Amino acid sequence: MINLVDELVLLTVEDEGTVSYTAGRSGFLMSVVGACLVELNERGRIDADLEAVRVLSTEATGHPALDLVLKAIDQGPALGIKAWIRRLTPQATDVVRQSLASLADRGVLQASESRFLWVLKTRRYPLLDGSEKKEAKLRIVSTLLGDDIPTPHDSVLIGLARVGGLLEGFLSASEIDRLSGRISQIGSVDLIAKGVESAIREEQLEVARTFLGPV
Amino acid sequence: MNVNIESTEGGVSVARAHGRLDFGASAEFQKALEGAVGAKPKALVIECSELEYVSSAGLRAFLVAARAAKAGGVGFAACALQPAVKEVFEVSGFSKIIDVQADLATALAALA
Repeated sequence: MINLVDELVLLTVEDEGTVSYTAGRSGFLMSVVGACLVELNERGRIDADLEAVRVLSTEATGHPALDLVLKAIDQGPALGIKAWIRRLTPQATDVVRQSLASLADRGVLQASESRFLWVLKTRRYPLLDGSEKKEAKLRIVSTLLGDDIPTPHDSVLIGLARVGGLLEGFLSASEIDRLSGRISQIGSVDLIAKGVESAIREEQLEVARTFLGPV
Repeated sequence: MNVNIESTEGGVSVARAHGRLDFGASAEFQKALEGAVGAKPKALVIECSELEYVSSAGLRAFLVAARAAKAGGVGFAACALQPAVKEVFEVSGFSKIIDVQADLATALAALA
């Protein structure tokens, strides 16, 4: 199975190779950081609780995006989940870039360079056959439509896809509305993913305060 | 940490969890619970009065066991949570997907 970070990034890749965030870049980038932390947790490099994120091992994972985040946590101060999400979000664009390159290395995407206005070099990552993205979407939809308890991977994927605005890429607003109870019940049954939700909510409140005054 | 599994007369298995459930303990804990579910009891209750701590990795082990129980038609509940563990269950949303009871007697009655 593709790791959580790559799967989340894959959900944003359009057929022609552009990355699209339906419901906002910031939420998506925080979700990407959260996916890195969950993946590092599953691989035994970090553990987390309501107080702090702790490094258990600095052994490289072999995945450049995860190793970038692991190094930052290892060299950084002692912080809780939410604080790490916020602190690492500026690096999330690099994580996305590395994830796209890694997906291209594994033959899931195809790296393709082109020129914009004949001068600026742009890189796209068209889907090769799209089966991995299709499989992820199908798994999300069938989990949401069923009544099983999801795997930890799918629970986090659904939760992060929701807060990252990625469900809107393949479910209509009315479908999301109809499934909202199930999404909130089974999505992000995980301390780290809940930290992402909380960080996004806080940021939205800050933005609202900036534009509207105290809320 | 350690976990002791015993059977009750009503065909319900009770797993008594002791200590700290962190990444280092989670694989063994998960294996013990999956083994208990595999024995096909009527239900499995995790008695947590001696469980002091659950990390993110430990919570995942609970989720995997709850999933296996549901898939196998085995009832599943946790009971007697210490405040710190209860907070982790509530913050993570785990309390929304499994039955959490105040004590063992209540859990056994609910699963009878």
